[in-house]
Amino acid sequence: MKIEDFLEKNEVREITIFKQLVLNNGKLTYFDMLDYLSVSKASLETDLDSIAVKIAECDLQVHIHYDGQIIALEMSDTVSLQHIYRHYLDQSIKVEIIKFLFKHQKFTITQLSQKLVISESSLYRKIKELNTHLKEFDIKIRNGQLNGEELQIRYFYFQFYYYIEDKTYLLSKYAGKQMTQAVQTLEKFLDAEISPENRQKLIIWLIISKTRITIKDQQVDNLRMQMKPYLKDPLYHKIQVMVFRYFSRYSIEVDEGEAMIHFAYLLAFSILSENDFHEYRMIRDRHAPIASVDTQVAETIIIHFNFRRLPYMLERDMYYHLTHIHTRLYFFQGDVEIYEYQEILSNEKQIVGSHLVFFADELLKVSTEKFNRESSESNSLFRTEVPKYISLLILITSKTAKVLQVGIDLKIDDLYKETFSQLLMRKMRPLNGIQTEAYEPNKTYDLILTNESPENQRIYKEARVYILAKILSDYDMENIQQIILELNT
Amino acid sequence: MKVVIIGASFAGVAAALETRKRHPNARIVLLEKQATLAYIPNGLHLYWKKEIEDLNKARFITEEQLVKNHIDFHLGANVEKINTTQKTVNYNYQEKEEVITYDKLIIAAGSKQLSEKINGSAQESVLKYKRYDEAQAALAKVKESNHVTIIGGGQVGVEAADLLTRQQKKVTIIESMDYVMFKYLDKDMIQPIQQAISDSGIDLKLGETVSTIESKTNHKVTVNYGEESVTSDAVIMSVNVRPHLPFLDAHINLHIDQTIAVDRYLRTSVKDVFAVGDCIQLSGPDKDNIYIPLINNAVRTGIVAATNLNKPEIAFKGSLRTIGTKIFGHYIASTGMTESDSVFSNKTVKSSRQKIRLTSLPSTETAIVKWVYDAKTHVVLGAQLISTANILEKVNTLALAIQTKQTIEDLQQTDYFFHPSYTQMIATTNLVSWMGEGLFDDEN
Repeated sequence: MKIEDFLEKNEVREITIFKQLVLNNGKLTYFDMLDYLSVSKASLETDLDSIAVKIAECDLQVHIHYDGQIIALEMSDTVSLQHIYRHYLDQSIKVEIIKFLFKHQKFTITQLSQKLVISESSLYRKIKELNTHLKEFDIKIRNGQLNGEELQIRYFYFQFYYYIEDKTYLLSKYAGKQMTQAVQTLEKFLDAEISPENRQKLIIWLIISKTRITIKDQQVDNLRMQMKPYLKDPLYHKIQVMVFRYFSRYSIEVDEGEAMIHFAYLLAFSILSENDFHEYRMIRDRHAPIASVDTQVAETIIIHFNFRRLPYMLERDMYYHLTHIHTRLYFFQGDVEIYEYQEILSNEKQIVGSHLVFFADELLKVSTEKFNRESSESNSLFRTEVPKYISLLILITSKTAKVLQVGIDLKIDDLYKETFSQLLMRKMRPLNGIQTEAYEPNKTYDLILTNESPENQRIYKEARVYILAKILSDYDMENIQQIILELNT
Repeated sequence: MKVVIIGASFAGVAAALETRKRHPNARIVLLEKQATLAYIPNGLHLYWKKEIEDLNKARFITEEQLVKNHIDFHLGANVEKINTTQKTVNYNYQEKEEVITYDKLIIAAGSKQLSEKINGSAQESVLKYKRYDEAQAALAKVKESNHVTIIGGGQVGVEAADLLTRQQKKVTIIESMDYVMFKYLDKDMIQPIQQAISDSGIDLKLGETVSTIESKTNHKVTVNYGEESVTSDAVIMSVNVRPHLPFLDAHINLHIDQTIAVDRYLRTSVKDVFAVGDCIQLSGPDKDNIYIPLINNAVRTGIVAATNLNKPEIAFKGSLRTIGTKIFGHYIASTGMTESDSVFSNKTVKSSRQKIRLTSLPSTETAIVKWVYDAKTHVVLGAQLISTANILEKVNTLALAIQTKQTIEDLQQTDYFFHPSYTQMIATTNLVSWMGEGLFDDEN
């Protein structure tokens, strides 16, 4: 599911116009924009007019100028694309439907169409559209309520309030003393310390859980099956005791299902600190599905990079992140794709290195196969876990990399030599773990970049030599990166 | 003034009597769903204990006493809806629809043993006996049963297990927490009871939650929990009770747990409507609102609501969740905060356990006392007692100490009598000041 799924087609185009302008330094020709959007002239003009109206309605410091040739964006320093998204989402009927469902749990078509001031047939249509997007979460709006496994429903609401809807509103409305106390209680029960960012995540989760707690006939059958290997898990046991004791103080009946839901959430959403998680990892059952996939993936990574052994703290960190990734894959379905991280990582392949992207895909295959989860294009969860693997791999490679000495020895005219050496150094700056300089004969290097084969190999001593195919080409950059990786492992 | 009270159990009757005391001319009408008056919940235990010879004797007030107080009561009156705008109550009485108006309404409809999570728990073969008719049915069924499964190891469940074992029945208890009576006692206090339970041959399943109950063709009932199941002749539900209030109108605000929201004067969100007893949350040992369905709270809230009918006069002081009972040969009592429940509090608590000789005589029995107190201020927050001697009354002293915010140092100075046959050198409840001075030595 994407944030755009909550918007109408024309609104998505309008947002895209903003996005394109930001990506193109605030300016784009009319024809380039037409080309990018693949729309008719008339609809682009309608879109631009509609943007003008919407901007006028809000007090954001944003303007789009259009002089017949160039479309230009002017945005104050305090406004980001996020604000523009927010403004569009605030008007979204689909967002309103989900918010209403969250607040009231149930609606009738007449009641909701009156509340949203739309016709019943449009409401039906919106619900139908929403249902196509909710499918990947394996939940559905039917008979005026959300149907599906309880864990999936709460997970969807969590993603919705964390990434789509304005969470500050939810927090200001529902997060009171009781919630802060609930978090403190959880810390005491688990003997753990929860960071301020995680505290906010947890409060949102608890607010959602609180509003769902009295729903009758919650579905937990699937979760019960998934939890079978975890019934003796020490963390689960603590959570179970906490849940039963907490609700014994109210006139609310809960069963293990409630404890299972919180177990899955706490483990998948990195609520525990690395330290507290490590304590748990030491006593958890290593043969249970998540732990065993953690081990398998960790070993695959270690073999891939030819590490003999990872530094102690890095290994702990790796397991910490792997458990989150794998707990998500094990228990949850569907995800909200967040523009920023994923797009940044996939667009910056040059920095990341395409081999890492490829390897991350491999890792996903390992874990999903082990969990017997069928990878499907429509399930965003698989897509969103890849950048997490990539991110982890970057973390590992950059932390294990030693600083490689790279010497640039270009055999061209003096003036060009210095200029191109400088340009090459600048281009290599984003690469981690290297020190680049103009070649000096009396120094020792790990890698030499030159444009001609040396007459005598020995002049570069032990250094590996790479002959540039074309100075400053992307082709070379890709190869250099691979060599650096090889030298590092 | 016309005061209508829905429910004639402890809270409703207490409210009616207090209203009469304060308003001699008021018309007071009690509407009771049950066909009989003032049955003591779990009166069946009194019968099994042979403290009453007939279940029908388990009454806390008679019809004559109500009549004497000019209190009208309709038994078998099933309230169907209330209209707080019109100030009317619709109820079904002797198969007729009746409507009664009120000036003041007190909702004292009590609670039921309901489970929405356990499939099959509503069927007749699953016994509940909080009400008289249920108790009659349970009595007959248990009599012909050899093996009884009890779901829930709270006070009622454990009491029942004790009484049934004494009748030579085979008993299985299934409790979802990892020890019994967890609301009132800490795990380090429950050991003698759990030992006695297992010594008496009871099959105690801890940390197990019941999922389904199935009736078998041979009149047996199977209870499924986790991956296992137990088949017995009868099943007793002794899970937590919850209010059942389908008749409320939308103006009365509820808490998330479906209890009625009331203020300190027990007024609901609607003017002239009060709620008491098991229908509401109370301010608990740590002053936070929790659900404590106990009879002592029902009576006290009934009295407070009646006092505040015309104007707010006294605020309800809250509950320390004080209990006392005898099970498996041990008297146990608890008041205030347990150490386990202190995780819900902002306070940092300390605790201490002491084994105390009850008299100065060589043959004296002992009691184990656990104190829970504020680590900083030393104000006593909770206490638990367990002994083979009857120490139940002492819990009331301790409850008073907690209610009046005494410190452990204050308790040391409290003036108690001395008599060698009844006390030891230092009175039981004074001993708190000797904490940490090897009072457990003789246990080792």
